[in-house]
Amino acid sequence: MASYLSTLRNDVARWRAAGLIDARTGEALLRDAEASHGRGISFGSVLSVLAAVLVGAALLLFVAANWEAFPRMARVALIFVGILVGYVGGAALKARGHAGLGEALWLLAAVAFGAGIALVAQMYQLSGDEAQAVLVWCAGTALAAIALRSHPLTVGAVLLAGAWLLMTATAAGTHDQAPLSWLALAAVLWAVSLWTDSSPSRHLLLLSAMVFAWLVYVDSDSLRAPAILAAVSVAAFALGIWRPDESDRILRLDGALPVHGLLGFIAGMSAIQFEYYDEPEFVYVAIAVFAGVVAALVLAGRSGRMLRWLAYAAFVYELGFVYIALIGTMLDTASFFLAAGLVLALVAVVITRIERRMAAAAAAAGGRP
Amino acid sequence: MTASRRLTLAALAVALVQIGILSWMIVGRATILRDGREVVLEVQPVDPRDLLRGDYVRLGYNVSSLPAELFGEAGMTTEPEPLADGLVVFVRLRAGADGVWQAVAAARGAPPPAAPQPGDVDMRGTADYWPGPSARAVSVSYGIERFYLPEGQGRAIEADLRERRFRMKVAVAGDGTAQIKAFYDGDALIYSEPLY
Repeated sequence: MASYLSTLRNDVARWRAAGLIDARTGEALLRDAEASHGRGISFGSVLSVLAAVLVGAALLLFVAANWEAFPRMARVALIFVGILVGYVGGAALKARGHAGLGEALWLLAAVAFGAGIALVAQMYQLSGDEAQAVLVWCAGTALAAIALRSHPLTVGAVLLAGAWLLMTATAAGTHDQAPLSWLALAAVLWAVSLWTDSSPSRHLLLLSAMVFAWLVYVDSDSLRAPAILAAVSVAAFALGIWRPDESDRILRLDGALPVHGLLGFIAGMSAIQFEYYDEPEFVYVAIAVFAGVVAALVLAGRSGRMLRWLAYAAFVYELGFVYIALIGTMLDTASFFLAAGLVLALVAVVITRIERRMAAAAAAAGGRP
Repeated sequence: MTASRRLTLAALAVALVQIGILSWMIVGRATILRDGREVVLEVQPVDPRDLLRGDYVRLGYNVSSLPAELFGEAGMTTEPEPLADGLVVFVRLRAGADGVWQAVAAARGAPPPAAPQPGDVDMRGTADYWPGPSARAVSVSYGIERFYLPEGQGRAIEADLRERRFRMKVAVAGDGTAQIKAFYDGDALIYSEPLY
């Protein structure tokens, strides 16, 4: 795709020089071609991003190895050159139509920035607060994502924010609490993802939010966070079912709001189940989860294969949970395998029937998937 | 301005901002090294089994564990704020007769209220956690607990640390931030941190 765009760019320049088209037409043609061909993932761009990640990892290891052959200012200069060449070179490549390669160079520059932070820590023997370093790295990457309107850099910033969340929440002793400031950071990154048109970032942010609720639950030993997560997830699911177009226009999740709603519901309810593990209330929570999964299947099973398979997986997961909590003590191993086999066979039959009916309905609706 | 020129300028701006952040960190550390007040601390092995982690050694100091009395009567009893800032500790250091500086007072959140004697230095650290009021000591980190080594030299230094007395010259900024400046084996200088 990129090669087509660069060919077209040369052609347009030639046509303009030959007087076949004026400058405005040329710009319009290129914009249209970019809009229809520049998007989507090509094999080449995936490979170049992977290459960027590998070269970036090598860069990080190179610095971490504390290589003595270079004087330290040479190492700093190397990092600075990496940042400069990465961003400006990436912009130049992108302007010439090599979008995938350009983004890969930008990722490399962002990794060089992170390596630079690690290098400074190593040069001046700094200890402690790795989380702070990751936060600075995240902020720098987010800034680059905004300025360059880059989707991969947005994903990078979201992943770094997640790393910061985990490091802060699990840091030994100092402040072992899930940082509420992550919520503010996530809100900013959500806005950035709308600007850079990066829906994978939004999916990752929602997944991180579920992890966040779990961390708060583990730290505080209070069911407030999982309860809020489950309630918000149910609301999100309902919104995604009854107002699919409006909710997607605002949240822009590729119509996956019900899937996130179901996943968040399971994540929240699992925490509640862990809490009531040995209590009689466990049964009611389990019934609520089963009811929720079946309701999701009935209400939204039509909306996509992803949601259906998530619901099936959740069903089996919940069965396992209930077995370990309740029935495990009553059955011996042989009867467990028998019961598990029968139940799984039943589940398989149900899944097959639902999937067949979905396929038939899709065919009747005119071949829409 | 065409779209591609705008993109290149944006890329240049991002690169300069990130390089600026890194330069600012380097200059900040160099400033502490140049202008900070010097104290000398005695190095103590942290955990004999796990001194070496990757390519650096972990170090403890004679002020890494502060006796509870240094915090005064009220210092220990109040519960810390849940945020990380609630664990910030300032320790007042005074030069001892043997050249090693000792902690003479400590306080949470701000330097000790008592007027310092001439020559005293207040160093900023973070309590690893806040022990209850009955605790007899508080474990504090100053951000100087790590010493990076050239590849392959870790084990040798680690072995030496257990046998001999090492000292660390530390530069302390006006706000109390500590920065490793020079590493001594007895009186012999084995490492000196360059400004840049």
